[in-house]
Amino acid sequence: MPNHTAQQAAPVGSITGSPAALAAAAAIQAVARAARSFVLYDAGNEVIRQLLDGWREKSRAALDAHGELPLEVRPFEIVLRGERVYEDQDREKSMAFKLYRDGVRRLTLQPEAGWDELLELLRIVALRYTVVRQQEEDAVTLLRAARLRGVKLVAVEGLSADEERPEPEAAGEELPAGEKPPEGWDTPLPRLPAPAPLAWRPVAPEALEAIRAEETGAGTARGALALARELLEEAVRGRWPRPYAELVQLFAELRDAFLAEGQLAELRALVEVIGRAGVAEVRDQLLSSLGDARTLDLLLDGLPGEAVDLPPDLLALVPLLGLGAAVDRLAAEQGEARRALLLRLVLARLPREADAVLKRLPALEPGLARALAQGLAARAPERALEVARLLLQQRDTALRAEGLEVLAKAPGEVPVAPVAALLQDPAEAIRLKAAEVLGRRGDETAVQALTAALEGPERSPREAEALGLALAEVAPIPASRLFAGWLNPRGRFLVGLTAQQKRLQWAAVAGLAAVPGAEAERQLQALAAGAPDDLRRHCLAALARRRKGAGRG
Amino acid sequence: MVDLGQAQRSLARALGRARAGEDRELAQRVRENGEALAQMLAGLLKMTRVHAADNRAFDAPVAECARALAALVDLVGAVHLVAVDAQAFVNEMRLRAEGRPGIQELGAELRKHNVGGLVFHGALAPAQVRALVAAFARPAAEPAPRTALRERLQAEGLAVVELQGIFRFRTSEDPETGRVDAAGALERAGALAASAAAALAAGHAFHPLPLRRTVALLLEAGPLSPGLWDAWLTGPARGSHAVTVALHALLLGQAAGLPSAVQQDLGVAALVHDVGYASLGGGAALAGPDGLARHPGEGARVLLRQRGFSDSKLRRLRAVLEHHRGQADPRGAPSALGSILRIAEDYTAFERVHGQRVSRADVLGAMARAAGGEYHPALLQLAVNALGAYPPGTLLELADGRRARSAAPVRGRDTFATPLARLCDAATGVPSGDPLDLATGPAVRRALPG
Repeated sequence: MPNHTAQQAAPVGSITGSPAALAAAAAIQAVARAARSFVLYDAGNEVIRQLLDGWREKSRAALDAHGELPLEVRPFEIVLRGERVYEDQDREKSMAFKLYRDGVRRLTLQPEAGWDELLELLRIVALRYTVVRQQEEDAVTLLRAARLRGVKLVAVEGLSADEERPEPEAAGEELPAGEKPPEGWDTPLPRLPAPAPLAWRPVAPEALEAIRAEETGAGTARGALALARELLEEAVRGRWPRPYAELVQLFAELRDAFLAEGQLAELRALVEVIGRAGVAEVRDQLLSSLGDARTLDLLLDGLPGEAVDLPPDLLALVPLLGLGAAVDRLAAEQGEARRALLLRLVLARLPREADAVLKRLPALEPGLARALAQGLAARAPERALEVARLLLQQRDTALRAEGLEVLAKAPGEVPVAPVAALLQDPAEAIRLKAAEVLGRRGDETAVQALTAALEGPERSPREAEALGLALAEVAPIPASRLFAGWLNPRGRFLVGLTAQQKRLQWAAVAGLAAVPGAEAERQLQALAAGAPDDLRRHCLAALARRRKGAGRG
Repeated sequence: MVDLGQAQRSLARALGRARAGEDRELAQRVRENGEALAQMLAGLLKMTRVHAADNRAFDAPVAECARALAALVDLVGAVHLVAVDAQAFVNEMRLRAEGRPGIQELGAELRKHNVGGLVFHGALAPAQVRALVAAFARPAAEPAPRTALRERLQAEGLAVVELQGIFRFRTSEDPETGRVDAAGALERAGALAASAAAALAAGHAFHPLPLRRTVALLLEAGPLSPGLWDAWLTGPARGSHAVTVALHALLLGQAAGLPSAVQQDLGVAALVHDVGYASLGGGAALAGPDGLARHPGEGARVLLRQRGFSDSKLRRLRAVLEHHRGQADPRGAPSALGSILRIAEDYTAFERVHGQRVSRADVLGAMARAAGGEYHPALLQLAVNALGAYPPGTLLELADGRRARSAAPVRGRDTFATPLARLCDAATGVPSGDPLDLATGPAVRRALPG
């Protein structure tokens, strides 16, 4: 937050003149500075408070000492009875220009103007500084609505003819048919009873108060929600053209307004309105367009740090929490409890927002990506292959491993080729997992890749076991034939078996644990009988696994 | 004791809400294209002094002019380009003339033909822009140069371009008397309501600010002020359904003590309450129940095109959506503004449809009997209290045999049945005579239809 003083504000031209002009100049400069300060500082800044005080003091002093101040507004200056009291040629900064642009031509401050009215005037000027142009209001409408008894206004209200040589105007053009109301518009009229005699009767003050309350204060929020509900019903009933872009825009504006006011209950009610929309497509369109980071922040700010779940009354807001923001916060969050809460929030958006999660997955740290991938695969099993494929493309070993894990559990057919390609992955953990997945979910088309992996560069005994076992699982009969050759290779004189031959032999032993039939058992026993210690133990372990009925250890 | 902290917080809140209501992008595009249009047009008019209109030097500015105009038509519908003094405005938005001599000189170029502004009701092709420039390049045809130029434009097939006279700024009040030009404000309200309906029907976004400015002026004049009602009774605004509904609605809003800003919202809503008919395309298919049922929703739909949040927009949308809804409607009673519009709308419609057979007083009396189910009871009683035994516009037969029209709302409980009136022509009912205070003048024998 900037730490400037109130003296560092908008420059104005130097002012000289009568005491009244000087006092008015001080007041006008004070209001201009205070109004402009909202552009520069946060509204809660101490500088703004100083400037408000400056406007209060100087305006009071000028009015008390000099009475009524009729201020003529010109494009870049303000004049008091012919004396310039304010000047700023900078169009962006000039208060005079902003008022002039809106049509203000004279503001007369009355001596009886109170602080509330002077503050209201400041509010209006500040709006013109901070808001470039509103479609709805300008300084003149705001001043008129404020009904400031102590501030009189003269404003331009359009143009009038000013011709030295008046000419007849063109004959009035007929409106196009579409702009005319049809014959019999606003009919049929309601059937009314016979007239009652008209008499003046007092209206109860409380009835009037109820009418006013409907359109102000809390009534505004209630009215906004009623409008949201009715427009949604009307859109569906009246078959408005889809997509309802304008309606979505309005709902977003309502969300923003409730957020700005911290009105979570109203926000929840807005979600409920959407939830009651009769058409699922409409409901989904509105909900998916309303997710917002600010809703999430507002909600998190209101929860204790140790909360790991949303209170039941806030569950309705989950669709508005901004999935992207939740993932961002999750990625940056260090606290365990808050992390768990955020993860739940994200998972609660699945499977509806699976696409958004999938998109973010590659950029997340492996632990989080794994958690989300598991959540995705569990809540959107039909998307598991996509999750796996995405993870398998990542550089991080843990993510690729997670991709294989997801694949192993994914419903339906598993694509063999991308998994088989991972048998050549630089990381042994991935190769092991790929072999395992192929064994469980692959088919005969994986045989060549498995064989190639065994026959290729060096592989550890553990990997050779995994490959052998996978071979037996995907294609027992062709595997048996291969194993038969690999079990008893012909060693070279004096040197014995090559590393590759030993690896294939090792793989064959592991694979035979999963090959059905007595022949596999006999082959293992025969090899164990004459094998060196490590190979013998490997054979005995395979035999034990066969007897347990489980190929995998 | 002044609480500056509280002041600071309330200012912050007000600014936050206002920021949410902005549509900076739209305003910026209108301004940029407006400036391009004015600058190019002024430049083209000036170039005609040294080049023939078919010179290739015109090609680029003509193309830019056509482009900017097409963009504006797309954004705002009819484009009103007005030059006053050394300033230029597009649809009431002041164009930045500083450092742009072209814009500053546009007024002088147009004035040669006694023209102060142009209304483009549609886009122009480059050839049409060239024809427009060529028409302006001809010497002014005295004694009525604007009329001659208009005829020439029509001969060139440029009827889409409307010429306006020379203007000066008109302030809201006489600076000396502070009096508001009520007749001017009513007339302007009618014109703005019609052009808003046309723009919305053409698919453009709603720009409430000009309407709000006029409503603010009507409120400044005072919805109860005899001057305003007299201007309505005797001027063309009485023929405008939107203005008549607005005037009655504002009277009720004032009587209900609604805050000024809400009264402005009510007035704007009243001026556009029937835009749904225009948007649906009019035509016989919309006469009767179908149009009655569809136009409030359609009106709300087209008004939704306005971007940016504000309480005003919400109030307006709800009022338009619910302005034909009864208090006992199964969908729920209308909002307060919707209830007010319902009363003003039905009262005006009954008068329009049955006015030759039933007096205004009887219309109001019948509506009073229907309070509760159809109409908000407190608001309807407020309407009775404000409009009186002889609502403004009621044709009266006076005890002395003359005829008059009630010309103002109730001034006080004691004058409930003795309004201000204007004598009128016995045959036509047109008010033409002097104002008359029936509290001191002849008694009312009876209220008449018509």
